[in-house]
Amino acid sequence: MAQVSAPIQAWKGHGEQLSKNEKTKDVRRQNIVAARAVADAIRTSLGPRGMDKMIQDAKEGVVITNDGATILKQMAVQHPTAKMLVELSKAQDVEAGDGTTSVVVIAGALLGAAEMLLNKGLHPQAIAEAFLQASNKSVEILREMSTSVDLNDRDVLIKNAATSLSSKVVSQNAAQLAPIAVDAVMKALDPANPDNVDLNDIRVVKKLGGTVDDTELVEGLVFTQQKVVRSAGGRSFVKDANVGLIQFCLSPPKTDIENNITIKDYQAMDRLLREERLILAKMIKQIAATGCNVLLIQKSILRDATTDMSLDYLAKAKILVVQDIEREDVEFICRTLGCEPVASLDAFTSDKLGHADMVCEEDVGGEGKIARVTGVKGKGTVSVLIRASNQLTLDEAERSLHDALCVVRSLVKEKALIPGGGAPEMELSQKLNEWGRSLPGVQSLCVKAFADALEVIPYTLAENAGLNPIEIVTELRNRHAAGEKHAGVNVRKGAISDILEENVLQPLLVNTSAVRLSTEAVMLILKIDDMVLSR
Amino acid sequence: MHPSVGVFGERESGQDVRGANVTAVATLANILRSSLGPQGLDKMLVDDIGDVVITNDGATILGQLEVQHPAAKVMVELSHLQDQEVGDGTTSVVIIAAELLKRGNDLVRGGIHPTSVIAGYKLAMKECVKYMQENLCVKVDQLGKEVLLNVARTTISSKYIGAESDFFAHLVVDAISSVKFVTERGATRYPVKAINVLKCHGKSTRESMIVPGYGLQLQRAAQGMPTRVSPAKIAMVDFNLNRYRAALGVQVQVTDPKELERIRQKEMDITKDKISKILSSGANVILTTKGIDDMCLKYFVEAKAIAVRRVTTKDIRRIAKATGGHVCLTLATLDGDEKFDPGNLGHADEVCEERVGDNDFIFIKGCKSARSTSLLLRGANEFMLDEVERSVHDALCAVSRTLESNYVCAGGGAVETALAIYLEDFARTLGSREQLAIAEFAEALQVIPKQLAINAALDATDLLAKLRSHHAAAQTAAPTDEKKKDLKWCGLDLVHGKVRNSMKDGVLEPLLTKSKAIRFATEAAVTILRIDDLIKTIPEPEPRQGEEDE
Repeated sequence: MAQVSAPIQAWKGHGEQLSKNEKTKDVRRQNIVAARAVADAIRTSLGPRGMDKMIQDAKEGVVITNDGATILKQMAVQHPTAKMLVELSKAQDVEAGDGTTSVVVIAGALLGAAEMLLNKGLHPQAIAEAFLQASNKSVEILREMSTSVDLNDRDVLIKNAATSLSSKVVSQNAAQLAPIAVDAVMKALDPANPDNVDLNDIRVVKKLGGTVDDTELVEGLVFTQQKVVRSAGGRSFVKDANVGLIQFCLSPPKTDIENNITIKDYQAMDRLLREERLILAKMIKQIAATGCNVLLIQKSILRDATTDMSLDYLAKAKILVVQDIEREDVEFICRTLGCEPVASLDAFTSDKLGHADMVCEEDVGGEGKIARVTGVKGKGTVSVLIRASNQLTLDEAERSLHDALCVVRSLVKEKALIPGGGAPEMELSQKLNEWGRSLPGVQSLCVKAFADALEVIPYTLAENAGLNPIEIVTELRNRHAAGEKHAGVNVRKGAISDILEENVLQPLLVNTSAVRLSTEAVMLILKIDDMVLSR
Repeated sequence: MHPSVGVFGERESGQDVRGANVTAVATLANILRSSLGPQGLDKMLVDDIGDVVITNDGATILGQLEVQHPAAKVMVELSHLQDQEVGDGTTSVVIIAAELLKRGNDLVRGGIHPTSVIAGYKLAMKECVKYMQENLCVKVDQLGKEVLLNVARTTISSKYIGAESDFFAHLVVDAISSVKFVTERGATRYPVKAINVLKCHGKSTRESMIVPGYGLQLQRAAQGMPTRVSPAKIAMVDFNLNRYRAALGVQVQVTDPKELERIRQKEMDITKDKISKILSSGANVILTTKGIDDMCLKYFVEAKAIAVRRVTTKDIRRIAKATGGHVCLTLATLDGDEKFDPGNLGHADEVCEERVGDNDFIFIKGCKSARSTSLLLRGANEFMLDEVERSVHDALCAVSRTLESNYVCAGGGAVETALAIYLEDFARTLGSREQLAIAEFAEALQVIPKQLAINAALDATDLLAKLRSHHAAAQTAAPTDEKKKDLKWCGLDLVHGKVRNSMKDGVLEPLLTKSKAIRFATEAAVTILRIDDLIKTIPEPEPRQGEEDE
């Protein structure tokens, strides 16, 4: 706590005595320091040889990750400008899904450059202006550098996903997860709207047990939380299933609190019990009459979705039951199965049913069981079942797969590729320097600083890989100057090489959005000249 | 790193956090260390309310410890995972992981990047598993039935009941063989879960026995019921046989006092009807998961049937499977009436209540399908019984794994030593940085034979040297030199303090236990080695936070 409030208190204590000029300088400096500290904190996670962070939260929960966005979210950062960097990482996550660490590292380096320029006496507005221009120019340069990609070329897409996965905890399984990510996105791609993919169409479910190798792509549905109800000895395997999804309860109607059923004589008790059985029997008969043999029941909080009796009836009618379907899953299920949710018994007709070749319950080792629906008619949706041997790996595998999916989506959004391994950053740095020399006055200085700052990516990659960063970066600069624009840091071999040959590829969108977003964040921080605490 | 990172809480990074993690894990491993192997000793664990557990099962010990450190928690999970997936080898997995970490940390301190160490470890792990599958295992079919007994004996010998290992090995093998079944997909399964383990205080452990059929630690509901029915027709129901009570929202209003009496009568009759429907189907044993009213018991007594209440759902399902019956949730039919279908009845030769020690047990003998067996364990005190149960469970798991995976390897540190020698050679063939990590991996594996010897108060250095020389000879032997090649089965004989052929002397372990242990241990070690930053956030001081800042 003391750490956090110290800069603020320092400002508060002396604020009155400081002249206006000194005060704004002080605020700006503190902001930059705080933001750079955040960037430094996650630097070690960058790249394929990046390390993980273990974060223990207030409730003793432990997260092990090297995903920038996740680390920053968990870190509970206090300083307002530091929070902006956390937001920045989140923005990159939303926009591109990958490169959440690099965007913060770049922002940190840009802030360092800005600080140096400020010390030289440049006006923050001038710096911000020049940075913006440099960023626009960068996007242009990156575009030129990129090669367009054909979405039908599965191999290239897999290489992309593999690059993203190679820096994660599950990097050993990259060869297996990358095709899953690519296939999933391609399945979810809507031909009518070829420029975007809704990742909500890919349902990622996780189940503890097995190893990451057992992760699989399922064309259909997998339920891990919901189980096939077996208490009544019902079926657990149905071929040629007609699946119905109901949103009402198969239980005797409950009276409101004010209303009461009054029994006046003993025969009424018999009637009451019989009536309850009849109502349920009628419901089940009607459902069975439509040819439905698999019933998904939405979770209900008001009433019991099913009772022992209705389950027993359903088992007698040979209907497989999966209950506790979450409200938010309903839409996905309907699209996958091609069925319609039914809100009342009267509306339950055979045209509302979806079809699946097989519905079964599967034992997945240990205590766990999953329900699997395969051979479905619906289009444009897909499920991925993630397995791992412990909760920490499972969560990290999910995050990594999300990143890989996002990478493929980025390619769908913008069908262009550039090499990874620090090659684009180094190329940018070179080209910007050249371009900067053609600019007049102060701008030239700022662009040069911007260009140099981008070298932080190859520098950090080399540093994290245990190489000599200065040696590597100078060598890299040399190679790019000689025109090898695809030369990058080859972490595996510990040397410089043509990164295209190593198949380390990433989508253009990740880089352009990283440069653009980090520049914007830096501009914002530079423009702050006062900090007022208010209640 | 600038101090004003703006993070709420503590932060450790780099070598500090790695060192702290390794220390935490080493502490745990040191606790377990002395309980490894046949000469390992037990731990007495006393919890905060004074409950005592005496065990030398790694997973149980770690489960009882309240571990705080996050890295140590990974180890506890690791041992738990081994317990779940394999059931045995829970101690050795933690010891190997800790050793890997210790050596990995030393390498990192020596200037090798953690990722190189990790790559080396993963490579070594893959090589190990491959080598084990190719060279260090034998198919069970080639060895005959004796092999199962040996596997069980090996597991049990390291436990408290080690002295009775022969007796228990037979018990375990018989039990597991009786639950064999073939799944729809054609795979043969030996589910450990289908064996019902009962514990009864009194007599000695040697008095433990197999009960054919199913045993329940319950009494019949009323003394007036017969203690034995034969042949038994068993009705299994999953609802209350209590006097009927109206649901919430149903009110009884009467104007005539006579009506009140009739309603009371009716409430009783509703349950009575149900019972008579069950009884009229010919059932003479009624098991329910819920309760039975005293008032309703008399109907069963009159019908000379045994009724048992509060049977757990798990038990009743297994009984249903064993007797070929069905558990009934309700008696309702689709027409809205109530009926008990005789097809739901399960059949057994005999159901009886017997007194064992101080407790009454219900035994269901001669079930229609034999897919369930009960083991009745006896022991002089509760702690002992608990430990015997754990040991028997481990042995059951080991035998079941052996049967399902069909491969065994030699015990007594043979596999670890052979792998160590192999990896050392393998490491030398690599010219990259991983070489050092693989060499350390090989060293780390030898912690098992070393610890086995230390626990048996033998000269570890001397024995290990002998063992290594045997294995080295086996691996360099000419393909035709069968005698020399057989040296690869050499393990430690901890009683006599010498090296012997474990395979011949029947010290066997399922291959699955070993390969999974190495795999899990490596994964856990890698997970921890990859961490270079630990951030502990402290709870956010709720709304008052703003004030503190000012």
